[in-house]
Amino acid sequence: MAYIPASSYLSEFEFQHFVDQYKRFRVKRFLHFPVDVPFDKILFKEVLKADIIHLGGGNTFHFLLWLRKTKMLEALKDYVFRGGILTGLSAGAIMMTPDISTAGMPSFDRDENHDNIKNLDAMALLEFDFFPHYRNSPRYDAEFRRFSRKTKRCLYVSPDGAGIIIDGEKRTFVGPTWLFHEGKKIAIN
Amino acid sequence: MVSSVKKSVGDMQDAKKAYPAFAKINGDHPFKSQVSEGRVEYRARTKKGGRVVFFHFDLAKEMGLLPKDHPNTLNPDLEAQILETFSIQIINEWDIENNIKFPETEIRPNTYMATRYLQLQHPDKSGRTSGDGRTVWNGTIRNQGVTWDLSSCGTGGTKLSPAVNIQKKYFQSGDPSVSYGCGCSETGEGLETLFFSEVFDKNRIKTERLLMTIEYDKGLAINVRAYPNLMRPSHFFGHLKQGNYKTLRQVADYHIERQALNGAWLDVRSKGPSEKYQYMLNQVARTFAETAARLEDEYIFCWLDWDGDNILMDGGIIDYGSIRQFGLFHSEYRYDDVQRFSTTILEQKQKAKYIVQCFAQITDFLIKKKKRPLADFKNHASLKFFEEVFEEAKYKNLLHKVGLREKFSGDLLKSHLNEVRVFRRAFTWFERAKAQRGTYKVADGITRDAIFCMRDILRELPQLYLTRGELLQPEEFIEIIRSSYAKKPDLRLTPMMLKQIQRFQVSYLNLVDLAARAQKKERHQVLLDITMRSSVINKYDRVTGDSITYVVQKVARCRPRLKPEELFQLMGEFAHYQTLDPDGRGQVVDEAVGDGYPARQKNILRGMAGIVRECREGL
Repeated sequence: MAYIPASSYLSEFEFQHFVDQYKRFRVKRFLHFPVDVPFDKILFKEVLKADIIHLGGGNTFHFLLWLRKTKMLEALKDYVFRGGILTGLSAGAIMMTPDISTAGMPSFDRDENHDNIKNLDAMALLEFDFFPHYRNSPRYDAEFRRFSRKTKRCLYVSPDGAGIIIDGEKRTFVGPTWLFHEGKKIAIN
Repeated sequence: MVSSVKKSVGDMQDAKKAYPAFAKINGDHPFKSQVSEGRVEYRARTKKGGRVVFFHFDLAKEMGLLPKDHPNTLNPDLEAQILETFSIQIINEWDIENNIKFPETEIRPNTYMATRYLQLQHPDKSGRTSGDGRTVWNGTIRNQGVTWDLSSCGTGGTKLSPAVNIQKKYFQSGDPSVSYGCGCSETGEGLETLFFSEVFDKNRIKTERLLMTIEYDKGLAINVRAYPNLMRPSHFFGHLKQGNYKTLRQVADYHIERQALNGAWLDVRSKGPSEKYQYMLNQVARTFAETAARLEDEYIFCWLDWDGDNILMDGGIIDYGSIRQFGLFHSEYRYDDVQRFSTTILEQKQKAKYIVQCFAQITDFLIKKKKRPLADFKNHASLKFFEEVFEEAKYKNLLHKVGLREKFSGDLLKSHLNEVRVFRRAFTWFERAKAQRGTYKVADGITRDAIFCMRDILRELPQLYLTRGELLQPEEFIEIIRSSYAKKPDLRLTPMMLKQIQRFQVSYLNLVDLAARAQKKERHQVLLDITMRSSVINKYDRVTGDSITYVVQKVARCRPRLKPEELFQLMGEFAHYQTLDPDGRGQVVDEAVGDGYPARQKNILRGMAGIVRECREGL
């Protein structure tokens, strides 16, 4: 299982935490692969041979910048098309959607675009948008309703501890999730 | 920016009530009464126009200067109290010679001492004229069983500076015609010490700490350092050279007492005089052997020349002027000190050993009251002890770098020293390999480039063995270990290179298997543990001397907009980011850098991380 953190900054400790979490499921072999520091092709190739690649959480803009710079974005898409399992937490999950617009939401608690990225296109492995860390409150809902009216795409939102599993055409919702579509809010799970 | 604080007498009394511990720091110091000829005393006056630009709140709490629940903010009372206590300038020989008058109200009641110690750049070369040239000792403070020394650099020129003794005249403090010797310090010096020493401290490398910086016009500053015992070997060596038994003994007794008082040396008080000095020698031999090994293995360049004024008696680093940390083992770098080149990192061990030899001479002198020549001690038992401790420390350091836990590395050294030795040989072969380019000049000296990055191979190897379960191809091994300094001719897979690659990998896995057997675990379990620990210990970006210089330049540019508490926060976050302790609890952040910090500080921190990354293989 390969762990790609959103940033190398203190990611060694995140990696330790990650290993502790997945060891419980009898995963035995792990790779730590930050993309915002130079890496050699040996480890790069090894990562793409992993059974599971996990994209960590952090600043989504920073993460996208480096995944694109290192051509990892394309490599990860290819990995999924070859049957690899790609998982993502927070920024890592947003990375699989068409673009990372939701990282800039809600306006009162958003990721900062320090790197001033203009092209927000992500992997587009999914045809919907996703928002993690959702809190079921009118402040959040007002922004998401506006957003879903504008994009026309479905926006799924999950609080911490919840998520979505996509296996081919099948979607499984783990924990509470809501759908925002064309300004409406629908409870999914 | 905090402006100069002007306080009325009434306000000042309020400040004193709020911060009573500061009142204990008034120039009094036990060294004054216990070592009769160890110092020069100066009267001091208030130095005006200062503002506190950095204050180490955590250190101040540890020392008992601030209550533990004090917020990490510099309020006007605290700043006033700091300036009242530390913003001083000595009334030196030039002032007296020129009959300069200062208002009595500005003159402090107590004297402040500059200590005498050996410095070889003085013409005298025996310590009669040398010592603290721009520093005075503020006093001591005791908290939680530890007595701390405090000294201030930049408080005016003393008669112990090289300039006074080379030019045979006194100088006015701040005289621009002399650089070193004018008695001034600068904010930049303080910041360099701050960022370097905090990183070292977090990584359990003993070092002086910076308590505060008070800035004046033109970037001049008083930098206040703190440490549990600021004695250096050079405090002994001057009196040794002069054959001054009485003062040498007083220095030794003073030092032993402080170490006992601080709990650093146990049971020493109950010993008789001979045993006590012998105990001191053993401690010095052990400390300097461990320190020399640690400096070498952490690629820390500390100019350990035999006058011993760049290191503290307990191996702590002092005076960051020439301290560097290399990214690779640039073991042929020499600092150009105009009159001479410095030692290399590999020669540090011999210098440390020479310091121990001097202490063997000191011990003999103290016990027998007769000074014998230093050469008589070249085969002294303490030097054999030094070698043993040094070797043991080298092995332990290596196994730590690999990522093995200390409790298992001890077992490995006991039962399988030969296997560890085989790995060490292979490791050293790569670590010391140099570029075919040869020696060349750099900005402040000469160097010959190391070509392999041991941190990279130690970080990636366990992961690759874990996932593949087999040795790497030689080309792959080289691809990982090569540094940016390596050119094509350096990386040719010669028969010797192939042999060493094979030896490195086989002996590495052998150690893993031995550790697995000792822990009754599978190889993959040990490799996973090593993977996690090694990713912290051998982190991709680690500070170097160059990176600290650039980081400080960056901070200096931003500093006019930074409050002292913001600089404190920034320093703390930077040191945390450079803490390579796999057993420490890392703070997992949810941002690219530093969660919870204002955007401006995040930007600075991000820039600092970029600098560290950029300079990670350099000097």
